[in-house]
Amino acid sequence: MNRIHCVLGLTAAALGLGAAAADFRPAANMIVVAQTESEHDHITAIELAERIIARETGLQILDLRSLAEFEQFHIPSASHATLDEMAHRPFPRDGQIVLYSEDGTHSAQAWKLMRLRGYRNISFLREGIYEWISRVHEPRLAADATAAERDDFKRATEFSRFFGGVPLSDVPRSEVPLGYWTGSANKTSVPVKQAVEKIRRRGC
Amino acid sequence: MTAPLSETGIIGAQGTLLAAPVIGFAFGWFLERGGLGSAPKLAGQFYFVDLTVFKVMFSALLTAMLGAFWLDFFGVLDLELVYIPETFVLPQAVGGALFGAGFLLGGLCPGTSCVAAAAGRLDGIAVVCGMLAGVFIFNSAFDWIAEFYASTSLGPMTLTNMLGISRGAVVAVIAIAAVAGFTIATRIEDTRS
Amino acid sequence: MKRYSDPYFAGIGIGLVLLASYVVVGRGIGASGAFASIAAAVSASVSGATSPATAPYLQDGVRSPLKDWLVLELVGVTLGGFTSAWLAGRMRIDVERGPGIGSRQRIAAAFSGGIFMGLGAKLARGCTSGQALTGGALLSVGSWVFIVSCFATGYLLAPLARRLWR
Repeated sequence: MNRIHCVLGLTAAALGLGAAAADFRPAANMIVVAQTESEHDHITAIELAERIIARETGLQILDLRSLAEFEQFHIPSASHATLDEMAHRPFPRDGQIVLYSEDGTHSAQAWKLMRLRGYRNISFLREGIYEWISRVHEPRLAADATAAERDDFKRATEFSRFFGGVPLSDVPRSEVPLGYWTGSANKTSVPVKQAVEKIRRRGC
Repeated sequence: MTAPLSETGIIGAQGTLLAAPVIGFAFGWFLERGGLGSAPKLAGQFYFVDLTVFKVMFSALLTAMLGAFWLDFFGVLDLELVYIPETFVLPQAVGGALFGAGFLLGGLCPGTSCVAAAAGRLDGIAVVCGMLAGVFIFNSAFDWIAEFYASTSLGPMTLTNMLGISRGAVVAVIAIAAVAGFTIATRIEDTRS
Repeated sequence: MKRYSDPYFAGIGIGLVLLASYVVVGRGIGASGAFASIAAAVSASVSGATSPATAPYLQDGVRSPLKDWLVLELVGVTLGGFTSAWLAGRMRIDVERGPGIGSRQRIAAAFSGGIFMGLGAKLARGCTSGQALTGGALLSVGSWVFIVSCFATGYLLAPLARRLWR
């Protein structure tokens, strides 16, 4: 018996040491950091719009704001979820999951929670519902827009009409987000609530 | 990655449920074979007389841990899809202490109490009843401890993520420590007898 | 009556079962969760789903399909233990106890021990099977906290329980 025990013990030790030697992969949270830095963690509102229009199978959009805010206005085909559910509730694993909240904070936290739970196809809207409203639902064209900006606006207009929104052209430059079409994070002074309330008044 | 089979769609919900009693059967079989269905044997560990529990538990842990690591490494099993119990530091520390006290008193744990009961041991049945009572008491008192129960949550946190070192390194440390433990355990038992 | 198996072989056997569980169903084994389900089901049928004993359980947030799996698994554990004991000639009705106490005291101690374990396992979301074995092999921090706490407490309090076992 003792010889067999020795062999077993040595095998276990060897497999263990071998594991340390073989495993150069960083810990999961380091992978998460790397993905965040390489910008694979988020998706733009325009991309999301394209995927909704294409009726991508398995696409799940989750709204992490309050239920009241969700019912007031939400991205079409989105469903409501709480931050707590992000830690517990099982979700289908095939298909892309997109998270959004009022801005990027809650959805970024939720993204991390889901990633650590092993969900791979998951991203979030960096500027939350505001990004959807200002870039898809109500895209804005400055009065002094460049040609490139006009082209982008045309594309956005098609999305806007598809979702029943209203494109706004001839808008003062100050009301158009900086880096609007390049996807960089820069908010204007128009807060989300005002934008959403304007939509309600128009009777959506 | 072909596994876990239930997560990659090879096995559906029914297959998953069917697997439960099969896996349980094998577990119960080995527990009984190893002598863990006998309370005096299990309690003997706390007096350094019979370290069977330590040997069985840690060789099981080691086997599963090494197996999981290498299957994941070779792309057979996707560890990210395996459910990891969530960490609640304080409740698990306190719960562990309570559990340890109960284990010492009863000489059997939940799984082994079923094995003991199945072999006719009345003390096994007593432990089973005690546990049902304990769970019932806990549920009745839940409102008072609900806050503590949910405190210090870290989610599904692994030693790897927490310490920031590679999985392989953690596995190596545990493996070496376990083998060293086995050597020491054998020494202790030899000097006692 | 057959002799017990070599503990290391039994342990490796359990480890392979656990590994198979990860591979087939993406989760490990457990035991205390099944007790929790059974206790809740019993109180629900006796006094209705709104009784204080079941309501918090149902609102626990941890009511997941995994818990039914555990009940089935525990049934398997019982059958496996039974079969092994039967084939090894270890079936008998008796009270296993230390040499220093009588059956009554042993049963009382066993019942009390069970209560503590029921409380502890609920708090810790698992027991030696679910947390120590399953979670430990998966390197879960909380599981290792449980392992250290459980065994340290057992060893520390052992002198107080000497009468029971030695």
